[in-house]
Amino acid sequence: MESKEYEIEKQEYHAGVVSKILFIIACIVVLVVVTTLSCSVGTGYGFLETFGILWDHITGVELEFRSPEWWADYYVWNNVVPGVVMALVAGAGLALAGTVMQSMMENPLADPYTTGISSGACLGAVSAIIMGFSFATVASGMGIVVNAFIGALIPAVIVIMLVRYVGNSPSTMILIGTALSFFFNSMVTLIMITADAADLQSAFLWQIGSVSKAAWSDLPLMVAMVIISSILVQAVSTKLNIMSLGENSAKSLGLDVSQFRMLCLILVSILIASIISFTGVIGFIGLVAPHMVRYIVGGDNKFVVPGSILVGAIVLVIADVISRSLYVFGNVPIGIVMSFIGAPVFLYLIVRRKSQKEVF
Amino acid sequence: MAEYSNSKEEYYRLARRKRMFAVVCMVLTVVAFFASLTVGFYKVSIGEAIGIISDHLHGTISDIQADSIIFNSRLPIAIFAIIAGAALSAGGAVMQTILRNPLADPYTMGISSGASLGATIAIIMGTSLWAGFSNSEFIVVMAFLFSLIPVGVILLFSIKRKTTSTKIILIGIAVMYMFSAIVSLLMVTASEDTLSEIYAWRVGTLALVSWGDILIPLVGTVGCLTLLMVSNRRINVLMSGANCAQSLGVDPKRTTLIQMVIISVMTAVVVSFCGTIGFIGLVGPHVARIFVGSESKMLIPASAAFGSVFLLVANSIASVSGPYGLPVGVVSAIIGCPLFIFILIKMRRNAWK
Repeated sequence: MESKEYEIEKQEYHAGVVSKILFIIACIVVLVVVTTLSCSVGTGYGFLETFGILWDHITGVELEFRSPEWWADYYVWNNVVPGVVMALVAGAGLALAGTVMQSMMENPLADPYTTGISSGACLGAVSAIIMGFSFATVASGMGIVVNAFIGALIPAVIVIMLVRYVGNSPSTMILIGTALSFFFNSMVTLIMITADAADLQSAFLWQIGSVSKAAWSDLPLMVAMVIISSILVQAVSTKLNIMSLGENSAKSLGLDVSQFRMLCLILVSILIASIISFTGVIGFIGLVAPHMVRYIVGGDNKFVVPGSILVGAIVLVIADVISRSLYVFGNVPIGIVMSFIGAPVFLYLIVRRKSQKEVF
Repeated sequence: MAEYSNSKEEYYRLARRKRMFAVVCMVLTVVAFFASLTVGFYKVSIGEAIGIISDHLHGTISDIQADSIIFNSRLPIAIFAIIAGAALSAGGAVMQTILRNPLADPYTMGISSGASLGATIAIIMGTSLWAGFSNSEFIVVMAFLFSLIPVGVILLFSIKRKTTSTKIILIGIAVMYMFSAIVSLLMVTASEDTLSEIYAWRVGTLALVSWGDILIPLVGTVGCLTLLMVSNRRINVLMSGANCAQSLGVDPKRTTLIQMVIISVMTAVVVSFCGTIGFIGLVGPHVARIFVGSESKMLIPASAAFGSVFLLVANSIASVSGPYGLPVGVVSAIIGCPLFIFILIKMRRNAWK
């Protein structure tokens, strides 16, 4: 009898696994389609035309210098594609970071910015934009990026140092993170209220997050970090599962919880810093994408991690498309589109969820 | 018997200590109140300041300039700081207690985002919808009306359904996000000057408060604080969890919602006049909790008193920093954050575990 039941359970489990793998394959297909489609939006070229241009570029077709085809290629390849790729990579990275953060904080409301990373990055960027202060030269255009990157790591370092004294239970880390966010945000405010109106506007736009000014040179660091982190996190996804069982169970299963949590925090901090220093603080994607995936594939991080990466990329590419197709109404950055998508999804998740534990 | 008398003595000793904290805070409030009258670019001593006020009250104004600075500018600001500090801090204390969450503050229900949206719309419109209102009065009215919308949404969602306190927080956050999204959209499309005006409003400042702004917040805060104090026993019971409260004869959902509405009204009347001053509502109760513990009867007045002192001091520092002074919201976060982290380290683990 027992073995029969066991067999049935095994079959059910495998059926579940198959459907989850199918979901992930479906996500990959959707991502590819959405990404190629999105390259044509707002360019004035049709979809097939854009696809032809991209195809010609990739296959290395020689174009006559400054012919109409050359201009079309130049425009699409250098103005449109980098933004799309940045949206894709940033979405993947932020969603990945959100997944890790929610598991390690044992809190469904955690997002990549829970430990104050975004406020530190804002302080770095704003001080470059408004005060012209930077670790690199602002004139070279890298000033804002370098500042944001270093600024983003400051709260992370403070959290890691303070945790030695107060213990790294999730609730303490969240408390410290919140306090640090308040502190850095107030410094940002301090700088912003002394700025003149034009500087204030560009600093404000940075904070909302945008991919419209992306260039190919912005991408290598971000892409490398996202790929490395994805592989690392996927490798430890079973440990993340153990972690969400709670501190004591994880310990008894042989996982050094506080050490693992520290490692996760460091990885997430560097990952996020390398993304938001180029894009600005794009909210919601890190919070919402993992929930959407958990709702479909359940709580097993082996599937949640790749699922989140893909769904995050899809959602942000779509947000970018919407942002670009709204250009007739003025400049609506991707960050705002994302919060208009994210807030209702979030509300829906809460209202329809029956109990606190359902997705965790 | 000996043990009993020992623990009895211990209890009285603790009760004395708690009363001491409240009394000390109240004395400090009075001191800080008079001290804040003297701080600023026009220098007077405490005695002179009191002299100027009593001159004004007796109708014998000797120095018109000094009178307008002390009586018409600093005095209303100091009074407003006491009101706002008490309202935000006590509101935070009750909110943390009923939601059993150390990160709750008076804005947890989305009041700040609602008020921001109202004020942003009013600032962008630049005029007033109703005849007889100036734009600045219109901003106050809009901020007040919009700040209560999130509470309305929460009530709508929770009256018919089964609601836990976590769910209430989450709905509040969701509404807050939605309102922030709209505010960001409006801010992005606004002109540069309008943007900086909106930004200044959101940071929160007391510098623009005048006598005309005192009455409504004063009445609202005193009224709501009294209501909270009256129901302090119910609030205590809620602390022990929904099931426990139910078995002790307190309807947890109804009580939670009623207290939330009271806190929201109290916060809204203050915030719509001075903008969203942050941090005090979060940290004030934590500091008070360390000294007086979590019993609401002592915690509410102690938080209120500490909040008043803190905001008075922060505002005095704010008014003399930089060439034009700073918004009090910025200063209170910059002072409050290290204080908060220090407390966390000192206590090793938070009082909630």
